[in-house]
Amino acid sequence: MASANGGAYSYSLTVFSPSGKLVQIEHALAAVSQGTTSLGIKASNGIVIATEKKSSSILIDDSMVDKVAVICPNIGIVYSGMGPDFRILVNKARKSAQSYFKVYGEYPPTRVLTQEIATVMQEATQSGGVRPYGVSLLVAGWDINRGPTLYQVDPSGSFWAWKASAIGKNMVNAKTFLEKRIEDAIHTALLTLKEGFEGQMTEKTIEIGVVTVPTTDELEHAKTSPETGRPKPTFRKLTEEEVRDYLAL
Amino acid sequence: MSIMELNGGSVIAMVGKDCVAIASDLRLGNQALGLSSNFQRIFPVTDRIYVGLPGLGTDVHTLWEKFRFRVNMYTIKEEREIEPETFAHLVSSTLYEHRFGPYFIEPVIAGLAKTPSGGVKPFIAATDLIGCLNFAKDFVVAGTASSKLFGMAEGLWEPDLEPEDLFETISQALMNAVDRDAYSGWGCVVHVITKDKIVTRTLKGRMD
Amino acid sequence: METSFAITGKGYVLVAADTTAARSIVKMKTDEDKIKILSPHLLMAYSGEPGDTIQFSEYVERNIRLYQIRNTLTLGPSAAASWIRRSLADSIRSRRPYAVNLLVGGYDTSSHTPELYWIDYLGTLTKIPFGAHGYGSYFALSLLDRYHDPEASLEEGIATLKRCLDEVAKRLVVSPGKYLVKVVDKDGVREIEI
Repeated sequence: MASANGGAYSYSLTVFSPSGKLVQIEHALAAVSQGTTSLGIKASNGIVIATEKKSSSILIDDSMVDKVAVICPNIGIVYSGMGPDFRILVNKARKSAQSYFKVYGEYPPTRVLTQEIATVMQEATQSGGVRPYGVSLLVAGWDINRGPTLYQVDPSGSFWAWKASAIGKNMVNAKTFLEKRIEDAIHTALLTLKEGFEGQMTEKTIEIGVVTVPTTDELEHAKTSPETGRPKPTFRKLTEEEVRDYLAL
Repeated sequence: MSIMELNGGSVIAMVGKDCVAIASDLRLGNQALGLSSNFQRIFPVTDRIYVGLPGLGTDVHTLWEKFRFRVNMYTIKEEREIEPETFAHLVSSTLYEHRFGPYFIEPVIAGLAKTPSGGVKPFIAATDLIGCLNFAKDFVVAGTASSKLFGMAEGLWEPDLEPEDLFETISQALMNAVDRDAYSGWGCVVHVITKDKIVTRTLKGRMD
Repeated sequence: METSFAITGKGYVLVAADTTAARSIVKMKTDEDKIKILSPHLLMAYSGEPGDTIQFSEYVERNIRLYQIRNTLTLGPSAAASWIRRSLADSIRSRRPYAVNLLVGGYDTSSHTPELYWIDYLGTLTKIPFGAHGYGSYFALSLLDRYHDPEASLEEGIATLKRCLDEVAKRLVVSPGKYLVKVVDKDGVREIEI
């Protein structure tokens, strides 16, 4: 009876309303829109994803809070909504990336991993005894086929590719802001976050992840000498020092 | 009686200059009795990759059907063709899934990989029956005539062979090796893969 | 001992199987039909472990029929052979495998070609112009290498087949006494007296 897909006597919590809506999914989206703002911007040479991280108490060690997560060397994600739900998805995504690596000897393309996460989120809208995930995700990654790509995944399990997007509390304003200017991605990200940011924006209260597109030279090099060790990751989180430097500019 | 030698058959793959070749004999036997002189054990995976599956006859088909299924699913899911190196890993993990009750096949993979700058790079690999990968820079061999193929290839192969010379080299290596093996022979098939075309030739061999 | 042959000719496949049902050294029956008609243009000669042959050949027969009912479409010889091969390949890695060897002969009504497949109990499949199972194969195959003609008329084909049966009768110590011969061509399946 406790199984995720439910026994014969469990009922799905996500059922159609007479008007044809799935109210649970709409509630999940409401949870997302109450969450802190996160955004992603694609540039010609990479992608930036960023989010606010404001803690409820000054006693919390915010250097240990991770809202931008590395999934595998070429993919990172950020969320708006419920932290615990995000953690579950990060775990599943990391496992999925590793099992892909186990079979193919390389990490999944962004599109494939996004689809994998989206499938997990969709399942929660059609299984008995579970509720939908209360998060929207921004998935940023680089792969040899499509280059840098940015995806958004919603609680319903639907996903889209974006040039730039924002999710969470301030998403409507943030998106309008993004539409006006896509130039220097990191700066635009910081400026967008600043819109509607309550309190001081410092390296302690935001997190940034970047995808850097490798040069052809770097690619050839990594290809010809696989025994030199791991290839250089294309996704990484900016350190607090780096964030501070960008804020100072 | 070894199960790896029940049906006979051998495969070889070689690297050339911007090309690769893979070749096999065409015999299917039941120990010393020949049953068929047209048993194909090399299959096309994509336009640029071929796989050779020497070993137990039943597993040649079963394994190829499995690879075909997995490669088709990969192509649909990823909306792209699989690369030779990725396919080699797929072969390896598929075989290792059956670590304690293996398919009696030692696959040989040959293909051209795409480079980031838009060129092609020859790729060959072989695995044992539980999927231990062997990436070689020159040639790989497998099957009942593998020991003889090593000798022939070691003597005939040289770096940067053009497609026509590579064809001659691999054909001579295979034909002469299988003539010294009772379980391989009865004609050969050779595929030479280049950037813009694949040349497939069937060779007549001794019928004894 | 159990023996079966099959040869292709111009527009037909000839299939012959001995008619003895033996147990140990005793002949239990001498008029056993070991060639199943799977569909209007498909034949299958089977040999091997007595219980398994009946079970497996009926399993194949029923499944080919089921496909026909479900899809109002008959499996062609190559598709049928592939399906049968897969059944045996799955069986060989199961707890108790079927020990059955087959010759599947058919006439492809879409390409108008006769086709013959050799399948053993391991699931080994190969398309052949002629083939055999059992001790008879050691005598018949070399003979057929010499006399087989893919363009032979049915009369010539029957003559070639007779050569095989005579050779086996002459040289094999444990040769079967009687054979049943069936042919499949554009008109379907029928039995032939030899």
